[in-house]
Amino acid sequence: MVELAISLYTKSCQQGGVEMHVLEANNLSKTYGSKRGISYEALHQFNLAVKQGEFIGIMGPSGSGKTTLLNLLSTIDKPSSGQVIINGKTVTSFSRHQLAKFRRKEMGFVFQDFNLLETLTIGENILLPLTLNKIKVKDMTHKLLLITKQLEIDDIIDKRIMEVSGGQMQRAAIARALIHNPSIIFADEPTGNLDSKASLQVMNTLSHLQKHYQTATLVVTHDPFAASFCQRVIFIKDGKLYNEIHQGDNRQSFFEDILNMQSLLGGSIHDLQTVRF
Amino acid sequence: MTFRQFAFNNVKRNTRAYLSYFLSCMFAVIVFFMYTVVIFHPQIATYDFMDAVKLGIIVSEIIIYLFSFLFVLYSTAAFIKSRKKEYGILTTLGISKLQLNRMLILENTIIGLVSIFAGILVGTLFTKLFLMIFSFILGTGEVFSFYLSWKAIAITVVLFFIMFEVSSLLVVLTLRTKSIMEVFRGAQAPRKKPRFSWILSILALAAVAYSYYLAYTSDIISITYRMFIILALIIPGTYFLFTQFSIALTSFLKRRKSIFYKQLNLLIISDLTYKLKDNARLLSMVTILSAVAFTSSGVLYGIFQSIEEETERFVPHDFSLIAEGEENKQDFMESIKRVESVFHETNTPFQSLKVPAVKATSVSSSPDWDNVELIAFSYSNYQKMMEVNDQEPPSPIKDDQALLLTQPILSSYIPKTPNKLRFNSGKNQTELEIKTGENTTNATILGNNALIVPDAVFTKFKQSGKQFFYYTAHIPDWMHYTNEIKKAISAVTAPSVFPDSKADTYTKFKKTMSYLFFFGIFISVLFFLAAGSILYFRMYQGIDKDVAYYYSLYRMGLTDKEMRQIATRQLAFLFFLPFLIAVIHAGFAYKALQNMLVSSVFIPSVYIISFYFIVHFINFIFIRNFYLSKLKKTWRASTL
Repeated sequence: MVELAISLYTKSCQQGGVEMHVLEANNLSKTYGSKRGISYEALHQFNLAVKQGEFIGIMGPSGSGKTTLLNLLSTIDKPSSGQVIINGKTVTSFSRHQLAKFRRKEMGFVFQDFNLLETLTIGENILLPLTLNKIKVKDMTHKLLLITKQLEIDDIIDKRIMEVSGGQMQRAAIARALIHNPSIIFADEPTGNLDSKASLQVMNTLSHLQKHYQTATLVVTHDPFAASFCQRVIFIKDGKLYNEIHQGDNRQSFFEDILNMQSLLGGSIHDLQTVRF
Repeated sequence: MTFRQFAFNNVKRNTRAYLSYFLSCMFAVIVFFMYTVVIFHPQIATYDFMDAVKLGIIVSEIIIYLFSFLFVLYSTAAFIKSRKKEYGILTTLGISKLQLNRMLILENTIIGLVSIFAGILVGTLFTKLFLMIFSFILGTGEVFSFYLSWKAIAITVVLFFIMFEVSSLLVVLTLRTKSIMEVFRGAQAPRKKPRFSWILSILALAAVAYSYYLAYTSDIISITYRMFIILALIIPGTYFLFTQFSIALTSFLKRRKSIFYKQLNLLIISDLTYKLKDNARLLSMVTILSAVAFTSSGVLYGIFQSIEEETERFVPHDFSLIAEGEENKQDFMESIKRVESVFHETNTPFQSLKVPAVKATSVSSSPDWDNVELIAFSYSNYQKMMEVNDQEPPSPIKDDQALLLTQPILSSYIPKTPNKLRFNSGKNQTELEIKTGENTTNATILGNNALIVPDAVFTKFKQSGKQFFYYTAHIPDWMHYTNEIKKAISAVTAPSVFPDSKADTYTKFKKTMSYLFFFGIFISVLFFLAAGSILYFRMYQGIDKDVAYYYSLYRMGLTDKEMRQIATRQLAFLFFLPFLIAVIHAGFAYKALQNMLVSSVFIPSVYIISFYFIVHFINFIFIRNFYLSKLKKTWRASTL
């Protein structure tokens, strides 16, 4: 059912013709290292364009620069050269203050370690972007109810972080990423801390909701299972684009394609996780 | 790598983590060392001080040592317990409890030795300044030279070494290493939801309110026993105020969604709830320390400021002589002659008066007022005395009335005076209506209150009553003639003649107070600084956690400005809440003091509180800026 919907959707996108890019990265480079010491180029002349509603996976062996790429795209880190354009705005020229304000309006984040504040309840955590954006309290409760219903966590909004399971925490994080209708969601290893059952649940809801809200989503992962939910998976190696594969009609075959590509990348045996089917 | 090297490297490579702990230990050493230098200073040891001063120094030293002990014990416990995860890793690697204990004690010994060394070094730098202040306050005229005795260094080293070893032993022995898993989980252990009990919150409020009431209504006698009740109530009261009532308050705020969800409030209030819970014990300790500092320095300063007025109250006449019995009249007259010749010689302006008095004994059915001895003056003589001394003229009395002069401060302890009293004076007995007034003579020096009777009654008393002779000299501007007055007092050699003077009382009072003031203020400031540094070290310890907290918010789009706002408000709350409560505590203590004094302690206490507030505020700004720059630096480093 889900697979069918995805394939139908992908087709409609492919036939759609010219679409506006939510995110564009041009010649993005990032060099780490001190002035005197050995410098290390984590990302080299990277280009990427993300259309509205697209669901993209970024994969690569450890040290390939995928987290660097995500940090640059999500404006948490500044590139050494190149630019990032989000919704037509060149965010790489923004000040820190502007960036923070931009992030809270236009972006949603899902992290491997959930990044929920333990001093807040689940519901308060989800509301956090709205309070930062100074939304009226009346509207908040309405939105909270809607999104938690969709994610099936409406019964735990008054629970505290440590009282719920990892899967529930990650779904709360997804709710937090979506509640303010951002134009793009960044997910960094969203299934990294979850077991296979919770991974399935989280990826299912994430792909379902991003489709529902038409929110462009970027997922960095080295879990081929999680990546198989994406429409397009980008492989990077040594800071450069290595390859890119699209999902066809079948998620199972896409999953196998991803596995093949991973072994092709080589040296990534450690990154291979056990197949969960 | 030997075991010792391991412990040494642990300290060396972990400087940042150890720094705050090290600084707090060093602080204790510095203070103790400076006092020890004073004790063993050869000039001071041979200086002709009152024993009270020497005792004062030693008592201060003992207080500082005990206090440092608690301070070091607290810092050690906080520091060792903050590293539980590390012990977990070591335990998985197979460290035994014995080895772990050895490692911790070894580490502590290293830190202890280094802080003793550094403390003595820094203390030496400040010693000169301290000696200067010391000689200035004691008015020795000369500044004590810089001198370090080996004894001072040895005593500091030995006592603090013992202190470090004992406190690390105590902490290590009470450290329960949980199972490895538990310790590992402990590093990211979920913080329990802060809970509170309504009953305890209300009890805490009631305890504090009742001790306020006791302080407010106390007087010079009742304060001596009430003080203990107040202390027994206010310390646990304050503690529960922080652990229970503050949580109750924030929970209440949380329930008001319109406040709670408003912008940064969500973050500030929820995080503050945890900070309050985590730091409740610490905050109540800081509050008590500050309250003690405010109260003692306020009381000392208040008394210091009111010495003149208190002297005025207890010694209404500038100079007086009193003698009892006809047989001593000769000595009395002789003494007057000597005193006045001293005054003439030294060009001391004065006007004097010699008045007779007589002993009167009351007769009453009330046991409190039966057989009470009073010194009676005739009304016309009393009027003259008032005139000579520039005192307010007395209100007139009728022929069957008498004026009883008492100390109003003790009035609640003097049994209620009956409307009428019978007096025995020799064979005569007279009944008089009693009016009461404030004490205005020095006749109380022999322990009797003065009684003013109509002239006719006085003549009757005098016929057979025991004679008294009273001499009073009014010396305008007596403050400028204290030496001359003292000389006059020493001229009175007859043992049956009792001199009394404002100047003498004043200088004795002032001298004692200035010593007390010096040690009191010094220890108070020490307490206050300790309170500040406890807060500071706590901030420093929690900074890693806070960086992680703000970093996750930063990724979601919290601006630098908002971060500063949240951090500032939270810090301000943690800083000024204990301050505010301590000020309120001290305010009631000042009220208790006011009940004992005539002069107003309001202005002195405002001075004291303002002084502390300025110091605290500077401290706050300093720590806030440090904390913010630390936050920024750490997270810039983590974001690169």
